[in-house]
Amino acid sequence: MIYLLAVVIGGLYSAGFYMMARRSLLKLVIGLALLSHATNLLIFTVSGVSRGRPPLIPDGQALAGGVSDPLPQALILTALVISFGILAFALALVLRTNESVGTDDLDEMRTTEQ
Amino acid sequence: MIHAAVLSGFVLAVFAPAIQRRWPKAGSWMLSLLPFGLAVLFASHIGEEPVRESTAWIPALGADLAFRLDGLGLVFALIISAVGAFVLIYAGGYLKGHRHLGRIQCFLLLFMASMLGVVLADNLVALFVFWELTSVTSYLLIGFDHEREKSRAAALQALLVTGFGGVAMLAGALLLQQITGTLSIEGVLGQGETIRAHALYVPALLLILLGAFTKSAQFPFHFWLPNAMEAPTPVSAYLHSATMVKAGIYLMARLSPALGGTDWWFGLLVTGGAVTMLAGAVLAFGKSDLKQILAYSTVSALGMLTFVLGIGGEAGARAAVVLLIAHSLYKGALFMAAGAVDHEAGTRMIEDLGGLRGAMPVTAAAALGAAVSMAGLPPLFGFIAKELFYEAAEVHPVLLACAVATGILTVGAAGLVAIRPFFGRAVQTLKHAHEAPSSLWLGPAALAAGGIVFGLFSGTAAGGLVAGAASSVAGIPVTAELGLLHGINLTLLLSAFTAVAGVALYASADRIRPLLRPVVGSLAWGPAGWYDALLASMMRFATFQTRLLQNGLLPHYLRVTLGMAILLIGVALVRGTGPPQKNLLTDVRLHEAVVGILILAGAFSSVRATSRLAAITSLGVVALGLAMTFVLFGAPDLAMTQFLVETLTVILLVLVIYKLPAYTQKSSDRTRLRDAIVSVIAGSLFTVLVLGVTSMQLAPEISDYYIENSEKLAHGRNIVNVILVDFRGLDTLGEITVLSIAAVGVYALLKLRPHKEEPS
Amino acid sequence: MNGFVVLPLLIPLVSAASSILFWRRRMIQRWLGLSSSFLLLGSGLLLLYTIREHGIQAMQVGGWPAPFGITLVADLFTGIMVTLAGLIGSAVAVYSVANIDARRETFGFHPLLQVLLMGVSGAFLTGDIFNLYVWFEVMLIASFVLLGLGGERKQLEGGFKYVTLNLVSSALFLAGVGLLYGAAGTLNMADLAVKLRNANEPALVTALAMIFLTAFGIKAAVFPLFFWLPASYHTPPVAISAVFAGLLTKVGVYAIIRVFTLVFVQDVAYTHGLILGISALTMITGVLGAAAQNDFRRILSFHIVSQIGYMTMGLGLYTSIALAGSVFYIVHHIIVKTNLFLISGIVERRTGSFQLKQMGGLYHASPLLALLFLIPAFSLAGIPPLSGFFAKFILIRAGLENEEYAIVAVALMVGLLTLFSMTKIWAEAFWKPAPNEFGPRPVHRTMWAPAVALAVLTICIGFGAGPVYELSEQTARQLMDPTAYIQAVLGVSR
Repeated sequence: MIYLLAVVIGGLYSAGFYMMARRSLLKLVIGLALLSHATNLLIFTVSGVSRGRPPLIPDGQALAGGVSDPLPQALILTALVISFGILAFALALVLRTNESVGTDDLDEMRTTEQ
Repeated sequence: MIHAAVLSGFVLAVFAPAIQRRWPKAGSWMLSLLPFGLAVLFASHIGEEPVRESTAWIPALGADLAFRLDGLGLVFALIISAVGAFVLIYAGGYLKGHRHLGRIQCFLLLFMASMLGVVLADNLVALFVFWELTSVTSYLLIGFDHEREKSRAAALQALLVTGFGGVAMLAGALLLQQITGTLSIEGVLGQGETIRAHALYVPALLLILLGAFTKSAQFPFHFWLPNAMEAPTPVSAYLHSATMVKAGIYLMARLSPALGGTDWWFGLLVTGGAVTMLAGAVLAFGKSDLKQILAYSTVSALGMLTFVLGIGGEAGARAAVVLLIAHSLYKGALFMAAGAVDHEAGTRMIEDLGGLRGAMPVTAAAALGAAVSMAGLPPLFGFIAKELFYEAAEVHPVLLACAVATGILTVGAAGLVAIRPFFGRAVQTLKHAHEAPSSLWLGPAALAAGGIVFGLFSGTAAGGLVAGAASSVAGIPVTAELGLLHGINLTLLLSAFTAVAGVALYASADRIRPLLRPVVGSLAWGPAGWYDALLASMMRFATFQTRLLQNGLLPHYLRVTLGMAILLIGVALVRGTGPPQKNLLTDVRLHEAVVGILILAGAFSSVRATSRLAAITSLGVVALGLAMTFVLFGAPDLAMTQFLVETLTVILLVLVIYKLPAYTQKSSDRTRLRDAIVSVIAGSLFTVLVLGVTSMQLAPEISDYYIENSEKLAHGRNIVNVILVDFRGLDTLGEITVLSIAAVGVYALLKLRPHKEEPS
Repeated sequence: MNGFVVLPLLIPLVSAASSILFWRRRMIQRWLGLSSSFLLLGSGLLLLYTIREHGIQAMQVGGWPAPFGITLVADLFTGIMVTLAGLIGSAVAVYSVANIDARRETFGFHPLLQVLLMGVSGAFLTGDIFNLYVWFEVMLIASFVLLGLGGERKQLEGGFKYVTLNLVSSALFLAGVGLLYGAAGTLNMADLAVKLRNANEPALVTALAMIFLTAFGIKAAVFPLFFWLPASYHTPPVAISAVFAGLLTKVGVYAIIRVFTLVFVQDVAYTHGLILGISALTMITGVLGAAAQNDFRRILSFHIVSQIGYMTMGLGLYTSIALAGSVFYIVHHIIVKTNLFLISGIVERRTGSFQLKQMGGLYHASPLLALLFLIPAFSLAGIPPLSGFFAKFILIRAGLENEEYAIVAVALMVGLLTLFSMTKIWAEAFWKPAPNEFGPRPVHRTMWAPAVALAVLTICIGFGAGPVYELSEQTARQLMDPTAYIQAVLGVSR
């Protein structure tokens, strides 16, 4: 399974990087979203995936072994929310940029660098 | 005492503009009281033992504000303060009524104090500090006439050339520290043998000489000095003839006991000096602008100084000190006289001048007195200087020939600056010339008189001074029995020959000077041309590089960034990662494989999608696959959140896309193929990293703590939640902050628009 | 005692949160922002004092022992950086009073600045690598919003590039954190230092180090990852550029220095040698980039890049004295560079433009401004006896001691080229006659005051180079030998 997940992660990164290098604003945002998915899956995978039970302590009894690692899950949760916030902002930025520049072509956006 | 002497100039400089404003007429005279006082103070030290004072600055690095007043420092300090006093008065007259007179007096005082610091510092760092300050004040002074582009360019050129030398010198000084373990000049001088035997000796010497040669305008760095004549005349007289340009000479003289006496030293200084003095003398004789003639003859004199320092020994040391004093006196006087002529007659071109002695008798007398000294004729101090110069050059016939040739050309140049304007037929000048005010003739007259007094009474007036300084230069006690007559010997015969040949040269100047023009052109502009070419090519390269890198295209930026990441990570991986050794979970179950393929398919189709909606849907598929993976491997909370967040994301995306233009294909096939390859390489790196890391995995020991203590200590059963709100609550605080600010940001972006832009 | 450690986070947080309560009441927000900035400066100084007197301060947040909870830890490096954040925050808060227009102020400039400062302080204080990521994101989102605040076209264009490239950095950073946790099973940096000391796969650890180098390298704007900086820093109002210029890249530099002295020291010859090479290229490309510009702030932006090279140069050399040089350089640079941006704003008020071509005549029209420009400009170029000279001097000495002559030559020549750029601004804006008439435009004293204060500080650092060096040297020794740091965090020496 590790091999498969590793390939999936690689695939997600490749897709993300490819989309980010496009000239369209929207594609760029999709690339960012893919990148964030790839990273979340990476954290999840490298911390030792197991087909363990969820890290929930049943009522009134101690938790036996075979639980999946709770820490990376917490990290991913934090990262998910953060990247959602940033994605929302990025979308607003896309919207306003497109409106102000009048195109979504990144090649047209070099007036500040000439 | 020395601290106060050096720092007083800085303090007075701060108040100079106010003083000049309050007393527009008398201000300059008042300001000159400080340098006069300093000159008297220094003069009272002649013949006394060296004094040393030190204040810690960065003791841990050996950088102290240390000063030492010895024979060599004393000569320089006297020149700096005495000439400085006359220059301040002169500037007051020369720039009377100028709106920035206060500023120039301020800069002149700043310069004077810095220059005193250079020659009195006993720590290489302190010396460098003052050295750079002289470069900076020189920059501000050359650019005094700042609205003219030529002035600005000349100021920059002088700053860059001397600044280049300055950094080289700093490196050289630090190399000396590596060798000797000290930055104290006294300490360095005490370890001459160690230095000369060290492997770093030659690099250190070259770097320090680079500093000295640029500052003292030695060939091929001489070109900035004539251009610096853009500065007002008081500045030229002070910085660019009497003092600052001699800082390099000072440095060589100061360090000669430690660095001198080797073949490298001899070869570099004598060659550099000889070329400079000859070239300078030829160019001086070929020029027509009084200030240009004086500038090139200054270059020539600086070459002579380097030349005799290179020869070294007692004779060299003596010659250097006497030449130095004589030159400061006569050249300062001539510059000021030339300025007075310019001021009164309105031109500095010798072709347009003549017969001014009637209108300007005092100035004419001062100029003549100084020029006689420059020509090296008895009974002036310049004569003694030239005798010693020839004596030092006697080590080799070729060197002697160079020296005599320089001497002859110098006589010719002296004639051009002092005889042409004042004698001969009176010429109608631009302004109706009359005698300059006292502020303008006092300086030249006093300095020219100094040359006469030192010449006639050289033994008593200058003997002690010269002996002390020459001893510092040679590193051993040197006596100086100066006098006009030493009997009939080779040098006297050569002097006589020089005088005759020089007069003959001047007499035929009108025939010879036109012949010099092509030489003047090539010699003058060669190295200056290199400077221009270097600067231009640097600018071309800068523009090219910036266009290449910072071209404004975000996709380009991303590609380079990604390329760098691949390079750094890839090379590190290739350097020695073995294949994965053990894996925790290698078997694949069918439904897991399906989920994995689903994610990949979603990613692929979001890339290939031709409509925006399809792309977003595919993105949703990826997220769904992720959520399923989380479920399969024991993370239901994560799956829930993922699902929720993705739903919101898709809603937002759908809201946004219809405000954006439809999908089009913008890049060429080649670009897309290249990007695809690069992206796949980058992605594969992550695959390798994941596999590598999982194989080296240490036990996730800190998680056991959470599993164990979640309920016991934190009273929560959902361990992930407990981690979020309790164990790692600070992360969550940050997370909430990010969300709130993102909300503020979206609101501000949508609501706050520039006035001119209409919301669509 | 060590409750001080949390103050630099708490102060801006409280200020920002209360500002939200007073939404659209810009006067209240302004005073909240001003007072909180100065309090942050005070807390930084207090922290620095405490660390000097009582050693490294650590605080286990929520009382959970390290490495299980999050540790806030402040060594001298942290103390210095937090103090500087407070200083720059205060300077910019004062400057913004006249520089930021009412509309931007109404839309939350002050709370945004405070959140930015909170993120910056958090990044300096945290001892946990994931928590560092979180603070980076706090800082980033605040900077995104500030950069775009006002919504002018140039801001949006610059902002888009800034956002995208920084998000790439964040993604790499997060991936690196995940991989590091996968490899070592911990997130606490002191714990990571202990665990990675005997990692069985040194090459893999180096590869992880490279991920962090890339991620932080983007934030620090080193070659060739700096594109976002010159693309955006000249687009927002000056107060915003100034705080960015002073602080943001330096957080990246801080992070690089922190992880490459604490965590990734397995293969110093390779990793730090690489950093040295990158430093050289960063200095050169930055300064050449500046030479080709004609916009005041864009020249300054490229110089930020160039100067970052000096800061990482000390890390690349990796000796006490070299790191002391880096610390000295950071202190000097933050003050001087912020000040130059502040001054560019005053110049713009006087001449109505940031374009050098449109400027002129200020040497005559405003001698005070001329003097005020010369101090930081010459300092940046390394003219003695100002702060920049000593910063360069220490690094050059360290380079010679290591016999790294090439980097020394680069550092010296880049200094000269910096001087070239500064004189270009000087000649164009101050010496050249004004191309068109501009009337007497008063500049409010709240814009002058911070610029003057920072200039005075530049001079003080030059004359007081001895004590500042001593502090830098102590800081460097703590960095070179992290035993005390690890002990402060983990409680026991391992």
